[in-house]
Amino acid sequence: MPKYAMVIDQRRCVACMACVVSCKKENEVPPEHFRTRVLEMVEGEFPKLRMELRSELCNHCDNPPCVANCPTGASYKREEDGLVLLKKYRCVGCKACLAACPYDARYINPDKGFADKCTFCEHRIKEGKEPACVATCIGKSRIFGDMDDAKSPVRVALQGAHAEVLLKHAGTQPRVYYIKKFSKPE
Amino acid sequence: MELTVTGTNAITSPFLHAWDWRVALYLFLGGMAAGLAVMSSILRLKNAGKSAEGESASFWGPLWVPIILSFGMLFIFWDLDRKLNVYWLYLTFKPFSPMSWGSWGLLLFFPVCALNALVTMPGEYRHWLRFDVLRTLVDRLQPHKRLLAILNFVFGIFVGLYTGVLLSAFVARPFWHSALLPLLCLVSALTAGAAFMAIIAKRKAVKLFFTKVNVSIVIAELIVMVLFSIGLATSQGGAVMPSFSFILEYLLYGMAIALVAKLLLVTDERSDALPDRAVLLMQVSAAMVLAGGLMFRISLVYAGQLSHLV
Repeated sequence: MPKYAMVIDQRRCVACMACVVSCKKENEVPPEHFRTRVLEMVEGEFPKLRMELRSELCNHCDNPPCVANCPTGASYKREEDGLVLLKKYRCVGCKACLAACPYDARYINPDKGFADKCTFCEHRIKEGKEPACVATCIGKSRIFGDMDDAKSPVRVALQGAHAEVLLKHAGTQPRVYYIKKFSKPE
Repeated sequence: MELTVTGTNAITSPFLHAWDWRVALYLFLGGMAAGLAVMSSILRLKNAGKSAEGESASFWGPLWVPIILSFGMLFIFWDLDRKLNVYWLYLTFKPFSPMSWGSWGLLLFFPVCALNALVTMPGEYRHWLRFDVLRTLVDRLQPHKRLLAILNFVFGIFVGLYTGVLLSAFVARPFWHSALLPLLCLVSALTAGAAFMAIIAKRKAVKLFFTKVNVSIVIAELIVMVLFSIGLATSQGGAVMPSFSFILEYLLYGMAIALVAKLLLVTDERSDALPDRAVLLMQVSAAMVLAGGLMFRISLVYAGQLSHLV
C-alpha cells in the first residue's frame, strides 16, 4: 500500500506559477478558482530583505478535519493510499469542510456546487504518472512519491533536510512537507 | 510583510466567507425554537401544570416551536449548494461531525415538538385538526402529555447546545474553537425562548415569571460572554477582537435588564395586578433580548470566519 506525500523544496521554487496553470488545465478548474496557490512573502526593510516563496495545496492530512466534519461522508480518506478525496455525488454543499480546513484548500465549484480540492491528480497516479504540478515544475521544487518506499523521490528529498509541515499544532498530520533551509538538521 | 498570492479562491481569501446571514438566521431561529421548547415545557411542568391553566401561551408556545424550527431549517436548506443531495444527510451518520448530529437531532426533535404542540391544543382549536387520524393520535397521546413535555425540554437543551457545538468543532477557526461556545449558545437560546414566551403570554403573572427567568439567564449569559471573551483575548481567536466585539449585544441586554429592574422586586408571581406600563416594559425588554440574540448570532457567524489559525 503506497503512502503518497509531496515535498515542496522551497529552495528551488522560482514562483513561475507553472504549477498553478498546469493544475487548472489538468483538472479543468473553473475560472477564478484554484486548487493550488503560490505565496510570495517579502519581509524586512530595504536593503535587508528576505523573500519566501511557498506553494500551498491540500495537505492530504492523516487526521483530516474536513473528513471528520463532513456530515454525509462525501469527503473521505482513501484507505489504500491515504489520499483525501471527495465522493461528489454525496456532497451536499454545506461548506463544513471549507470551515474545517486550516489550510483553506477547498472551494465550491461554481458550476456543480460541490466542495472541490486537490486530489494529488489521482487520475494520473493511477496511470503511473506524477501529479500535473509536479510534472511541470521546472525547478523540481515539487516532489511526489510514496513515503513507504525508501527509494522514492520524497524520501530521498527529506533525507537529511529540515522538513516542516504547515500548522503542525493543528494536529492534522499533513502529508505535504516543506524544505526551506539549506543546513542539515542538528 | 508584503504578501502576494497567486491562485486565491474568493471564498477563502482573504477571509473565509462560506456562510452568510442564512446560517446566522438558522442558528438564531434554531436556538429560539430550542429555547421556546424548554420554556414552554417549564410552563407545562411547573406546579404540576397549574401554571399553564388558562394561559394561552401554554398552547401557542409549543405551537410556535415547530413553526420557527421550520423557518430555521428552510434557511439552512437555502444555504446548501447541492440541495438535491440533502437525503445523504439521512443515509449517513458521522459521529465526529456536529452537522451530522444536528441533522439527525432535528429529525427527531421536529416530530417531538410537533406532537407536543398537538397534545397541548385546547378544545376550542380542535377543529383545526382536519384529519381523523390526527384527532385519534392526539387522543391517544393525551396520557403522555408530561412525557412529551419532558422530551421537548431535553431536545430543546440538545438543539440549543448543538447551535454552538456546530461552530466550536472547527479547530481552523480559533474564534469559534472554544468549549464555552456551546454553553454561550445554549444560554442565548434560552433567553430568546424566555423572551418569546414573555411576549406571547396573556396573563401578567406568566409574563412576569418569564421576564424574571429571562433576567437570570441574561445575567448568566453576560458572565459566560465575559469568560468567552477572556478566552479569546488569551488565544489566537483574539486576533479578530479589535474589529469585533459584543458591545451592541451588551448594550441591548443591559438596557433590557435596566427596563425590568424594578419589576424584579415584585415577588408575588400570582399577582395579575401589574400596571399596563409594567407590561409594556416587559414586552419591550423581551423584544430587545430577541434583537440582542439575533445580533449575537450574526456577529458570531461572521467574526468566526474572520479568524484563522496561524
